[in-house]
Parts: sequence; C-alpha cells; structure tokens
Amino acid sequence: MKNRREQRVFIAVFLSPALLLFTVLVAIPSVRALGYSLRQWDGLSTPKWVGLKNFAALLRDTDLFWAALQHNLFLMAVGGALTLFLSLFFAAALHRRVRGTALFRVAFFFPNVISSVAIALLWVLLYSTTNFGVINSMLMEARQALASLGLPWPAVDLPFPFVDSKYLIYSIVPMMVWTATGFYMVLFLAAMENIPETFYEAARLDGASEFAQFWYITFPLIREVFTVGVVFLVIGSLKLFDIVWVMENQQPTKESHVLATVLYQKVFTEYNVGYGSAVAVLLFILVFLATLVTLRLSRKEALEY
Amino acid sequence: MIRLLGISCVAVLSALALSGCDAVRRTPAAGGSGKVIEVAVFEGGYGIGWHQKVAAKYSAMHAGDGIHVDLWGDPRVAEKLKPRLLRGDPPDVILLWGMPVWMLVGAGKLCSFTEALNAPGYGTHTPWRELFIPGTLDMYASNGGIYALPSAFAAWTCWYDERMFGEHGWKIPKTWTEFDGLCKQIEAAGIAPLAFQGKYPAYAWNTFFSLIQRCGGLGAINRLNALEPGAFSHPDVVWAARLMQEMAVRHFQKGAMAMTHTESQLQFVNGQAAMIFCGLWLENEMKQSTPPRFEMRCFNVPAVEGGKGNPALFNGEGAEWICVPTDARNPKEAIEFCRYLVSLENAPDLGSSISEISPLRGGTPPSAVSPGLQCVLEMMKNAPGIFTVRLHLLLLEWNNQVLNPALATLLRGEVTPEVFCKRLDDGMAAARANPDIIIPPSVPYDLAKFGETP
Repeated sequence: MKNRREQRVFIAVFLSPALLLFTVLVAIPSVRALGYSLRQWDGLSTPKWVGLKNFAALLRDTDLFWAALQHNLFLMAVGGALTLFLSLFFAAALHRRVRGTALFRVAFFFPNVISSVAIALLWVLLYSTTNFGVINSMLMEARQALASLGLPWPAVDLPFPFVDSKYLIYSIVPMMVWTATGFYMVLFLAAMENIPETFYEAARLDGASEFAQFWYITFPLIREVFTVGVVFLVIGSLKLFDIVWVMENQQPTKESHVLATVLYQKVFTEYNVGYGSAVAVLLFILVFLATLVTLRLSRKEALEY
Repeated sequence: MIRLLGISCVAVLSALALSGCDAVRRTPAAGGSGKVIEVAVFEGGYGIGWHQKVAAKYSAMHAGDGIHVDLWGDPRVAEKLKPRLLRGDPPDVILLWGMPVWMLVGAGKLCSFTEALNAPGYGTHTPWRELFIPGTLDMYASNGGIYALPSAFAAWTCWYDERMFGEHGWKIPKTWTEFDGLCKQIEAAGIAPLAFQGKYPAYAWNTFFSLIQRCGGLGAINRLNALEPGAFSHPDVVWAARLMQEMAVRHFQKGAMAMTHTESQLQFVNGQAAMIFCGLWLENEMKQSTPPRFEMRCFNVPAVEGGKGNPALFNGEGAEWICVPTDARNPKEAIEFCRYLVSLENAPDLGSSISEISPLRGGTPPSAVSPGLQCVLEMMKNAPGIFTVRLHLLLLEWNNQVLNPALATLLRGEVTPEVFCKRLDDGMAAARANPDIIIPPSVPYDLAKFGETP
C-alpha cells in the first residue's frame, strides 16, 4: 500500500514540471486564443465581444484566408507528394544496397541538421537574380548553350525572379523536397530494414521483379510508417511559417501568404488580435481534421511478420 | 523521497520564475529624492551611441537635481515594450520604431507635446514648435495634439554615383522626360538604369506619392491624406501611376522584383545599376559595402511636364519619432529630456556622429554631413516646404493587404494604372467603413504657402 502511494508521488513529481509548463505555455494560451478569436482587440484597448464575427470575416476573405489556405494545400499536395515519392524511391534504392549507401544516407539527411531559417536564406541566395544566384547563372549558361546550337530558349526572361512573391510558393517546392526527403527516406529505410530478407528471397525464387517486390512486400510492410510520414507532412505543410516568412523578408503578400503568416501578420503587424486568433483556431481545427482523415483513410489491419 | 520532492519544487519554482522574466530591462530605482528617466531606443543602423552620449551629457548637467537618464537600446525594442505599455509600466521616453502609434494615440497611451512645443526650445527664446522644419510635426498631429516628435529628418530622393555620371557625361534630370531620356542613355551604356528593392514594394510607395505631387500638386496629396472617396482614381493620380509603371517596366534592373533592399542597394553601389530611389538612410546603411571611389549624391524627384505640383517641394518627413507614454513615471522630466535631445545644441552632432539630419531648421550645418546629405540640405534650402502621406501609418491592414500587393502588380505591368488606383480606392473605402480604425482629421497643406496654385 505504502509502496503504491510512494510510486504515485514519484510519478507525480516527475510529471508535474512538464505538466505545469504545458499548462502554462500551451494549454492556457490556447484557451485564451479561443477567447480572443471571439473578440475585437488591438492588443491595447479593452477587448470587445463580437461572437463569431472574426470567423465570418475570415471565411469571406477570399483574397487572404482562402488564398493562404490554397497555398498550404498546394505545398501539401505537390511538395508532399514529391517528397514521399522521392523518399520512398531513395529508401528502396538504398535498401536494395546501392553502392555508397552510407554516403547517400548522410548526404540526403544533411539538410535536416540545418535550421529552416538557414535553409531559406541559402535558397534565397541560390535563387537570387544577382550575380550570386547559382540557379539563374546555370539557366543563363543553358540559354547560351542552346543558342550556340541554334535552338530556341523558352519565352522566359532571365534572370527569373524565383523569390518574387508571385512565384514564391512554386519556388518553395524544390526547397521543401530537398529539405524533407532525407528525413522521410531515413524513416522509411529504418522500417524497410526490419523486413526479413527471407520474404525477398522467396519472391525472387518466384520470379518477382524489383518493382513487384517493392509493391507486394516492401510497401505493405512499411505502410504504418508511411502513414506516420503522411501525417507529419500534412501537419508540417499546414503549419509552415518560417520559410515563407524569411524568404518574404517578413512581408508576405496575398500571393505568398500561408495560414501561419496570415496569423502572425494580423496579430503582430496589424494588431488585429481577434482575427489572427480566429486564424489560429481554424488552423488547429484544420490540422486536427487533416490528421484524422489521413489516419482514417490509411486505416487497415497492421501486417505482422 | 521528501528530498526529491523538495528539489523538484525548487526546480519548478525556478522554472516559473524564469518564465516570468520578459527580458525587459528595468530601470534601477533612483537613490534618495532623485529621478531616473528611462529612455528606450530602437537600436538600428544608426546605433544608440549618439543617444547615449546625449543622455550622459543631460545626466551630468542635472546631477545636482538628482536626475539621471537611463538609456537603453534594442533592435527588438517594440516587442519588448508592448507588454510594458499594456501593463502600464512603460519607460519615460520611447523612440517609436515599429510601434502602432495611432493605436497608442487612440488608446490614450501617449502624452501630447502641444504645451511643451509652445514653450521655448532648449537654449533659445523661440517656441520649440517654430524651430522644427515646417511639416515635420504633422505626421502624428490630431485634434490639436502632437503625440510624437521627430528626432531626425527623412526624405525620399533619387541616388546616383557622381563619378559614374561624370565619366559618362550624364546630367541630372530636371524633368520626367529628361529622366526617361537619362535612363535610356544609361541602358545604352550597358548599365541598368534603376535598382529597385522589389521584395518590399513599399519602397515604390514613396516614389509614387512623390509623382502624385508632381502630377496633381498638393491638392492631390491633401485628398489622399483626407481619405477622400475616389482620391486614387483622380486622373492626376492615375497619371502618376502610369509614369510609375512605365518607369518600372522600362527601366528597373532585370530581376529587381525578387531583390531585397540590401541586394538591390548592393547592385547600386557596385555599379550594376546607376540610380536608386531611397531614403536618407541609404548612405549609412551601405557604408560598409560602398567602394571608396563611389561618390554618392542624390537629386529630387524630377518635375513632370504639365503637372500641377511645385517641383521644388520634396517628399520629406520627420523620422526617429519619440514619445512620452501617459503611464510614464516622470512625464514632465521626460518631456524636458526630449526638449534637450531635439535641440539646436545637439543638432550638429547628430549629423557629424551618425549622419542624420536634424528636424530643426538650420540645425544641421553642411560641414557636419557627407556630400550626399549636403545635396538634401541644398534641396531643403530651395524648397518652400516638404510633403508626406500618412495613409500607410493610419491604415495598417490596407497597407499590408491592399497597397503592397497592388504596387507589386503595377510594377510588374500586370494591371493598368486605372485598375491599380481603383484597388487602392476600394481598399480605402473598406478601411473607412471600419469603425475600429482611428482616422484623425488630416492636416491639409496650404497650397499657396507651398508655391502652388490652389
């Protein structure tokens, strides 16, 4: 009896700091954000109760809220799909023991050890329209090479303004893929390495091609990890902030906004705390629903081996 | 177990104590009957060295009265001060960079300087108000109150390298046609005529409203400042938008719309582009990157032929705004410190120490500043006054969600000037309809006084 009570105290002692910090720094601010979303407040005067007015305004805001949501969804769909495809492809290739596996693993994972702000700044330089811009310099070289062969260059002016607000969301896709592929590749590879080699040996004896082995053995057996990867990507794409914020120099426009940058701009530069909090609440609901849907869609009995 | 519990409690309490710290510096309590004036300054490109020097001088002068100025600076001063303003514990003086001044005025958080301005300026018998360059006190004036004072002067001009111009025989344009011709000459020499800070379309806003004055005169500026319905769709403003668009499409450096301010300004000082429109901070901001042979100079936005505006006027305003919060512990002493900070005694040193022009008339002798800023002093000498627009400071949402994106589409040539102006008008109408936005009565420019025909 005494032992059980001691055990409970012991657990409580170890849980309480984390619980306290979570309550103070996450739970209470979240509930307060919900309260602010129902008020009109500039952060200085007395808040005014407005009910669902902020949500109504937000849902009517095609220029901002819906445009930002579209950008999030575009990044989720295109960036996410490309990331998943490439990470699966590379993981499968490494799993099948391509030469230099260790080197590739490190090289692909490398972007994950760099902070997202540094990555954004790095890509701003790569995309630069000045002499520093490696990508534009390469495109110009390519144009010259084509011209020397008498071939036409597509009707695109160079240097191309990749980080102009108008093109920014598209320009983020390669960066997102470059950054995220390594992480998901390692995640999938770890799952693949748990699959017993005997399965592949049996499949080979039956004459299964490499693709068939992947499709009928590898993928079904890593499906659970793949689902986790999809959930991560969905959450990451909806919560995206830092990259857009840095690449837009803290001044995104409706052409480049994502939900999190709308939230920040509304609260901290326009002092519309109510509207910004409404964005935060909707963002939470969206992330929650998207995760739920992803998990539901991929729900299948787990294969045991 | 009890020991473990004790250690845990200490750890949790320490964590809570630390989480309660908002990294805001507190003013040390003054000893005895003395008073400490806490001054918070934005620590940007100009640093805080000059302000500290003035604070130290003031403290030394008032040591007998027990007054001490405790001045601190921070690049993120606005973020640190917002919670203090909210809980009614602000510093005595704030250099207002990045603060929503009109919201603070609306919430009754700022003292008015009106009474202080009617009293003599530091070291003179002239009322302090009369020492300021006319127009520099208008930005935060409302219903007879003046809620923030400029501690420096800002202007919008076109910058160039005199050496490069001399080598090519290029002349400073007096009219917009000459400016267009000059751009063509520069382009023919294989140099981009104009660098532009495209990642911040707001940089075009100042050039745009300079052109509005050139085309439509101060009448057009007055209509904008008064938020008159249809002010942007007025033919004179559409004309200015057309000139702006033609300039951008024809003469901006390729890829400029994807360049940050530092990238584009580097293009300028490295000679890749011959000119750039910018504020007076340009020279100081690019000091480290400017080659020694570069002779930075500037000229006023050229006159537009057939325009109603007096071309001698220029786009200028107060800068580095200071204010005294109503909740300040020592508001009276704080205002007295402001009177000393923005005084003719300190004005020359502002120029020689940090290359800033004083907002006081004749406060900055030419010898105190660089040849680039001397051009501005020369402009000031020849101008009957300055003009500015405060729309973007009043309508924060309009600025972010309407003006900046609309400017980008205009500069890229994606919309006609008419559509651009209509967007600005529509956005302004929506803002006007919002009862939560404070729109103080504007201070109209007297056209006759500024050499324009009413």
